Amino acid sequence: MERFLVNLRNELFKLSKRKKYLVLLILGGCVCVASALQVLVVNYFTHGGIPRETILGGLMSSNLSFVLLLFLPLIAIMAASDLFVGEQVDHTIRFSLMRPIGKGKLFFSKAMAVFVLCAFDMGVLYLVTTLTQVVLGGGTEGILTSLGACLLDLIPMAILILFFCFINQLMKGTGLTVLLCVVLYVGLLVLGTYMPVIGGLVFTGYLRWHNLWIGITLPFASLLPRIGLLAGYGMIFGSCGYLLFDRKEA
Amino acid sequence: METVLSLDHFSKVYSNGRGARNITFSIKRGQVVGLLGPNGSGKTTIMKSLTGLAQPSEGMVTIFGKQGTDREATLAKVGALIEQPALYETLSALDHLRMAAQYYPNVGQERIEKVLQIVGLMPYGKERCGKFSLGMKQRMGLALALLSEPELMILDEPTNGLDIEATVEIREIILHLAKEKGVTFLVASHLASEIEKLCDTVLVLYEGEMLSFETKEEALRLHPSLEDYFLAKVRDKKGSVVL
Repeated sequence: MERFLVNLRNELFKLSKRKKYLVLLILGGCVCVASALQVLVVNYFTHGGIPRETILGGLMSSNLSFVLLLFLPLIAIMAASDLFVGEQVDHTIRFSLMRPIGKGKLFFSKAMAVFVLCAFDMGVLYLVTTLTQVVLGGGTEGILTSLGACLLDLIPMAILILFFCFINQLMKGTGLTVLLCVVLYVGLLVLGTYMPVIGGLVFTGYLRWHNLWIGITLPFASLLPRIGLLAGYGMIFGSCGYLLFDRKEA
Repeated sequence: METVLSLDHFSKVYSNGRGARNITFSIKRGQVVGLLGPNGSGKTTIMKSLTGLAQPSEGMVTIFGKQGTDREATLAKVGALIEQPALYETLSALDHLRMAAQYYPNVGQERIEKVLQIVGLMPYGKERCGKFSLGMKQRMGLALALLSEPELMILDEPTNGLDIEATVEIREIILHLAKEKGVTFLVASHLASEIEKLCDTVLVLYEGEMLSFETKEEALRLHPSLEDYFLAKVRDKKGSVVL
């Protein structure tokens, strides 16, 4: 466990030295603030017909689609390709491979680093959105609900990250891997949207996981198959990704 | 004396047919063994398999009595430099060493500074490795290999890209560590003169096959230099004159 944490720290350190993640986080924050301003502009032109508390309450919940379906998957794709196929291409993976750490710990600590980055970004966007809501007079309505939603949505995000890590073991070029990740992700999203029957079986259909838990009071027994499905996807992507990583040579 | 490393009928063959076949030898503590062979003879393949970068197709690798597949146990005592050092362009020399130091319990800031001094990179510690010259990268690779005070060092062309002064310095470091601290070395080079100056035992590789494994004294008994010894071994194998 100690070496897992050591490598996790190192992977996070490497990611922190890449400025593109900071730039993207700032852009994400700007989009969240802009969405609040956009609502206020509409409110202004309608002569304040609707109170600010109503339109800005639960701002994060309305921003979640952007964060969950676009922003975080983009970050996850880039980080996974930087830590896996990117290192394989420029041989820097040897730096970690030549240290006393098992390949399993290495694979999962890299995946965990991508997850921590995504969780951090989500946390920052939540804070920025909540502050915007409060500062612009939207009150504190829905803040805790949004926090719960964010925390719940990290679960399917972990499965998506394992999926990207698995795809990274299949390809040899960075550009091609990123492209394949994007195409597969968009393809699965579109498939889930236009074919609801399949949507329930594909893991990308559960990215807004909080919808099953917050607001709708489904009995726990009916949630169990979905939890099992997501866990199954996680185990498949995790184990297949690890097996391929273990067989790779640097 | 304790056997530090042994290969038993080791083979690693790539899809293009290259690699190393049926290699068997063992190294005792404190020995400095040179892998001598031309480009493509299988030197790097063996070294990669010893450090877990490649997996053997056949045979067994044992390091400090443990199977090579037990990475955590074997690599804890091994320092390696394989081909060109793998360095992150956005990180400084100090960043690299600090990251690597975390894997070893007894390596602290003092040791980091010491290895930077040993390889002559102290003034460049905070510079990004992306700006380093080939020689500086090679020194950095050596610093990373030396960091954990390993008992076995696996060095692939350690003086590659270094100037004469640095080459002599690195050679002195290797000889000092072997004599004073009992560190075992496996050094690969395609230069017979380099192996002759560094090693006490020589292993000749040619087209993936092991042609001989002898002490330097034995090798030089009938030949004026290791270069002649190498050519004689290749000639024996090919059955013709090598130009």
